[in-house]
Amino acid sequence: MTALDAVSVYTPETSVPIEDLSEPLGLTDMQVKLFRRFHGLDEVRLDRNRSLHDLLRCALHGLTALGGNENRVRYVIHGRAMPVVVPYPENPLHDVCREFGLGHASTFTVTQQSCASGLLAVELAGRLLAEDSRPDALAVVLTGEKAFTRDAQLLPGTSIFSEGASACLVSTTGQRDRLLSYVCHQRGEFDIEIGETTERFQREYRPALASVMRQAVAEAGLALDDIRLILPHNVNVVTWQRLCLLLDYPLERVVLSNVATGGHVFCADAFANYRTALDGGLLREGDHYLVAAVGSGNGATFSAMLFQH
Amino acid sequence: MAAPEAGIDVALRARAVDAITTQLHRLLKRDGPITEDMLMAEHLGLSSSLGLELLLEVEEVLGVQIDVETMDPERTRTVGELATFVAGHGRPW
Repeated sequence: MTALDAVSVYTPETSVPIEDLSEPLGLTDMQVKLFRRFHGLDEVRLDRNRSLHDLLRCALHGLTALGGNENRVRYVIHGRAMPVVVPYPENPLHDVCREFGLGHASTFTVTQQSCASGLLAVELAGRLLAEDSRPDALAVVLTGEKAFTRDAQLLPGTSIFSEGASACLVSTTGQRDRLLSYVCHQRGEFDIEIGETTERFQREYRPALASVMRQAVAEAGLALDDIRLILPHNVNVVTWQRLCLLLDYPLERVVLSNVATGGHVFCADAFANYRTALDGGLLREGDHYLVAAVGSGNGATFSAMLFQH
Repeated sequence: MAAPEAGIDVALRARAVDAITTQLHRLLKRDGPITEDMLMAEHLGLSSSLGLELLLEVEEVLGVQIDVETMDPERTRTVGELATFVAGHGRPW
């Protein structure tokens, strides 16, 4: 069974108040007010002096459980929202693999599910490990991205991205944080980048996300009442306020504390919120928690993973 | 006209209806009449992002903070329903 053996998260120390982004992003005063009042965004993390390579390196550096186990790592998967992130022929993923003694591993990137690609990477890691001839084989799932253009910084009317990265050690034998179910609905009809389906996407967003979350809980043979915590995406707060009304789930059990100052870090939100839950003592042995992610762009993906701590 | 719930501040609700309709005219660039029973998304084409701008404008006009945490979009679909919610779940800043 797929299990998360260790999770490390890196976010730049540099915080930028969202007001400082109004000019570079072309935001009106009203749009900034809306982000603060309803979306719950105060500041985002950006570090112009750190490259994608630096972000991935910092996340891997924090993955102390990797030390001494490098030879067991058979796969390194980068879950990423954007398909193109560096000029050819640079390859920061391959570079950090070599630096951390993982040059022998099969290494690839998934971007097809945009910000839900981090969960897809965990699922793929588990599937590959399950078929691997070595029972003690490991995988490393990385996330991490630079907010390097206006499109990579802003989801108009929805969120502002932060930079950051995560590294996660995945096994099939771990006893903690075991994956009980994964539900993923890909909705190709929502071509958000073209813009024609934006209003319909907004209308159907919450029911679609609620649907995969309920299904993941049901597939694990549980009820929502059994779920100790929801680890959300950090797109904004108002979405989760409304989703909780729809799910009839208490908002105080959704880990939203990173939204205001950590922001939406592409595919890394789930891992950042996991660390917050773990470091804050919010998860006890045996607790079930539900992770949710949405990717949108050329099509949309709604995903939910259910774990037992 | 939708009947307000018992215990609602009738004067505040009336001001809320006025503020909502004024802001809807402005946000949607609409000249025609806007009545309390109109569905804001379906009849008027209000998107969820413009809906938040509407709430912020209404908060500023009325000088209240709307309790969005308990605001169920399914129960605040018409102008009248939203005004009732604002009157019942708005507190002074």
